[in-house]
Amino acid sequence: MDNIITVDKLTKEYMTYKRGSSFSESLGAIFRRKKVSVLAVNNISFTVKEGDIAGILGPNGAGKSTTIKMLTGTLYPTSGSIRVMDYNPTRDRKAYVSQIGAVFGQKSQLIWDIPPVDSFKMNKAIYGISNKDYEERLKVMTRIFEVEDYITRPTRVLSLGERMKCEFIMAMLHQPKVVFLDEPTIGLDVIAKHNIREFIHEMNSRGTTFILTTHDLEDVEQLARNVIIINHGDKVFDGSLKELRNTLGEVKLVQLTLSKPLNELSIPGACIVERESELSITISVDLGVIGINEFISKLSDICSFTDISIKEMPMETIITHIYKSKEDDKQ
Amino acid sequence: MKRIKRYLLIYRECIRVAFASATTYRLNFFLNCIIMLLGDIVFPLITVLIYNSGAGFEGWSVYEVLLIQSIFTMSTALADMTFNGILWATMFAVREGNLEMALILPVDTMFILMARTFSIDAVGLFIGGFTIFTVSCINLPAPGIFMWLKAGALFITGLCVMMGIALFMAATSFKWVGNSRIPEIFESIKGFGKYPNNIFPKTVCIITSYLFPVAMIGYYPAAVLLGKEGSASFIVLIPCLLFLAAGILMYRYMVRLYQGVGG
Repeated sequence: MDNIITVDKLTKEYMTYKRGSSFSESLGAIFRRKKVSVLAVNNISFTVKEGDIAGILGPNGAGKSTTIKMLTGTLYPTSGSIRVMDYNPTRDRKAYVSQIGAVFGQKSQLIWDIPPVDSFKMNKAIYGISNKDYEERLKVMTRIFEVEDYITRPTRVLSLGERMKCEFIMAMLHQPKVVFLDEPTIGLDVIAKHNIREFIHEMNSRGTTFILTTHDLEDVEQLARNVIIINHGDKVFDGSLKELRNTLGEVKLVQLTLSKPLNELSIPGACIVERESELSITISVDLGVIGINEFISKLSDICSFTDISIKEMPMETIITHIYKSKEDDKQ
Repeated sequence: MKRIKRYLLIYRECIRVAFASATTYRLNFFLNCIIMLLGDIVFPLITVLIYNSGAGFEGWSVYEVLLIQSIFTMSTALADMTFNGILWATMFAVREGNLEMALILPVDTMFILMARTFSIDAVGLFIGGFTIFTVSCINLPAPGIFMWLKAGALFITGLCVMMGIALFMAATSFKWVGNSRIPEIFESIKGFGKYPNNIFPKTVCIITSYLFPVAMIGYYPAAVLLGKEGSASFIVLIPCLLFLAAGILMYRYMVRLYQGVGG
């Protein structure tokens, strides 16, 4: 597959004001405000292939949303270049945005007082969608999302999950080739999240490329094939989900319910990482050092247990490790 | 041509949506119409009271002054309906960081913000202004067809000035975020357009005709209908159109600035 997005040495720096919270500082700010420069995105480069689902991860204030805004052409980069489908997003904004869709989890495109179907008609006019295409696409998407009943109710009476589904329909009516999702599942319950993820998979299977920023690691695990991690504006990881999982080595977590307490573990490549209680422990096993069969065999020799479960290393642990190790590198 | 047709279709859709929104809160719609009507109709009423007490503007009858004020009211109503919403839409979008939602649409940002804020609430105000205009016309000598055409052209130019003012106000909200007092300053200056221009000192006349051409909103179209325009009215067209152009350029510049500095 060809690259659909190419980002090269992208940097965004902007000036903002800083002031304290005390009365004297607020008073002083009336006359003079201290300007500070914020380096939101620092010299990052990456590519996204056509038909991919790429996740951009990072803690609050990492620069994910700024990156998405630059990718959608709504913010100018300070330096560096962006090519999306051979467009320069800021220079060719109008032509470019007609080819993309965007869903911002915390901002709405729907008009609050009227039913979503009226907002859809507004987008139909804005994107110049023919009646036939509009009817067909609306029918398909309302069926996938099962929203036929409530697209005719005022937006303000819909639940967050129902509104978010309508946001997706709004963003997809013109059949964009690339869709940017900024925290699309924020605040949603498990069923709504599941529906939205299913929809993304469905649209992706039809050829749409998705770029999503999220805090929800489940979104990444269930949707993304490739992951870019940004922290303090710097890119700290760029690779496949599998590569991300193997960052700490090929490690599995083994949870044990013991018959008798176990004080020490003397198996190479294994160590106790957590003691939930005297009889409940979690062991990490480095599969690069010892195979899982061999580990269980040795474990059976040194202790007896009544229950065992083997799990992947939690994504949270991996990502926290990446954040911390890069911060340590800087120091 | 295709582009104009598309923009007209979008505008038609926005009007439909505005109507749908207004009918959602029917009581609010009717109250808004009545309050706007009463608020702006009080002003011509004061003019009537002033003239009834024996005072007035020298050289101007009560119906002549009412004609100026009714044209000003109709212009304000049309501006409120069609483009004044851009000020609050911009102010809100910049403050909340929502301008991206307009920037991701494949249309002109200024156009879509104006179109989306189309409001029919001012229809009551327009009806009020038109009623006073009709009463004034009945009580004044009938203008010829050419005078009507000239007055119509100047009325549209007055709307251009109103649009320029709205754009200047909206543009300032990019820099002075959340400053809701800005419109009040512009409204005060706009007030000069409600009166016969020649009652003001010469400096004020020059400012309101050439620098900040608010006299075009009410005074000049009315002066044409009354046959009192002199030779200045068509020269005044130039600063009016320049004023609108400056407003558009400034607004576009500020949008680019927003794209450049936002985080």
